Amino acid sequence: MATDAPVPMPTEEQALILAQWFSPAYPVGGFAYSHGLEQAVHAGRVSCGESLADWLTDVLSHGSGQSDARFLAAAGRAADATALHEVETMCRAFAPSRERLLETRLQGAAFCDVTSRVWGLDLADLSYPVAVGQAARLLGLPLALTARLYLLAFAGNLVSAAQRLLPLGQGAAQEILHRLHPLIGEIAERASGQGLEGLSSIAILGDICAMQHEIQEPRIFRT
Amino acid sequence: MTRLADPAAASSHPQRAQGSVALSLVRRGERNALAGLRQAGALKVLFPRPAGSGVEAVLINTAGGITGADAFSLDARAGTATRLTLTTQAAERAYRALPREVARVENRLSADAGARLCWLPQETILYDGSALSRRLRIDLAEGASLLMAEPLVFGRTAMGETLADATFRDRIEIRRNGRLAYLDAITLSGRVSEKLARPFTAAGAGAMASLVYVAPDAEAALAAVRSLLGDTAGASLRESDMLVLRLLAADGYLLRQTLIPVLNCLAGEPLPRCWTI
Repeated sequence: MATDAPVPMPTEEQALILAQWFSPAYPVGGFAYSHGLEQAVHAGRVSCGESLADWLTDVLSHGSGQSDARFLAAAGRAADATALHEVETMCRAFAPSRERLLETRLQGAAFCDVTSRVWGLDLADLSYPVAVGQAARLLGLPLALTARLYLLAFAGNLVSAAQRLLPLGQGAAQEILHRLHPLIGEIAERASGQGLEGLSSIAILGDICAMQHEIQEPRIFRT
Repeated sequence: MTRLADPAAASSHPQRAQGSVALSLVRRGERNALAGLRQAGALKVLFPRPAGSGVEAVLINTAGGITGADAFSLDARAGTATRLTLTTQAAERAYRALPREVARVENRLSADAGARLCWLPQETILYDGSALSRRLRIDLAEGASLLMAEPLVFGRTAMGETLADATFRDRIEIRRNGRLAYLDAITLSGRVSEKLARPFTAAGAGAMASLVYVAPDAEAALAAVRSLLGDTAGASLRESDMLVLRLLAADGYLLRQTLIPVLNCLAGEPLPRCWTI
């Protein structure tokens, strides 16, 4: 249980666990979700690499990137079931639309299933950032680094989605992702030192795109 | 106490206004009756229509606006099977504050079983230099319904004002049977208009609104509500009986153009006068 401090693990081993969790092969099903990007492309708001970079920057800096990092860190500090439940409740209540809630709950449930099985952890029915934060706590993984890789995987998944929606080459896509590294680092560091008191999201148009996606036809992504 | 002259803040608005209103409704037979009413300081409440099948309460900030270190609070309770609609007499203006002073607004609302609560304040207009920290907490019992909309305007858009240095903290919490069901939080500071000009924050919109509707017919109302929305608004069913909506518009006037039809669609009764244009 969470009350027992985990046995310290060598850094190399930690790196491998995190690389496995955030690999596209880890079965959380990230490829099915576009976080509203499909609608932003459909409406012509994202049409090229440059507008994609803007969209990613806003979602990371002002939307769920930074708020997920806070939920991850808060779940990583949740010392007992009550504290964890409170973080989970807030995370669900903060989801701005039905599809956003679906996206975080289904990926979280899938992460809980496979991670519990492989590492023998007690994780169930948590939203994605909360599940990751709590798993990091149970294995003694550093939260700021976990948040960095979480955000990189989040952005990387959306860049992959963009490649299915836009004429965007592989090299250009990876350049966009690489340019986001400093921002991702900054958000992860800041969030890992913060509580949920200052929780905020002002990616309003991003939320609106996610809502409009619910009635978009045709569509290839679930969100 | 001496105060450094700040004409915008000091001349027209008294500093450190305090105001509080507490009211509660009970059902007596077919009628709704006021069970308790307390008002203090710069916040008053009027009841423009005779109480009947529901009560409409209009809040008045007699200080004429909000500035640094002001504190306003509202406690309102819709008792079992009552209908309470709350609104404001005028748009709320958050004026320039002195450095390090932050105004506080705390609104706590609750609806008991079978009650219907409408929270429909007019726009809050943030002036450049304003500093406002606001909290809205709504507690709904089993079977209570809610319509709430919080319109917000960023600067006096008609005169081209942008927010070059402002602080705004907002938190909306809705609990259903004690469970946190909806949480919206915004923290903005510094160059607010610049942040809101980003393509996926507000794309330069000067006004926004968040709306939540909790009622058994929320799902049935979703398609009708969506048909009233343009490109910069979206609606979603967060729970089977909870509809959420976000709306952006160039200014407060255009915000109303969309918001009023949506409110009319969901209210199921005449809106307060200030929301009929």
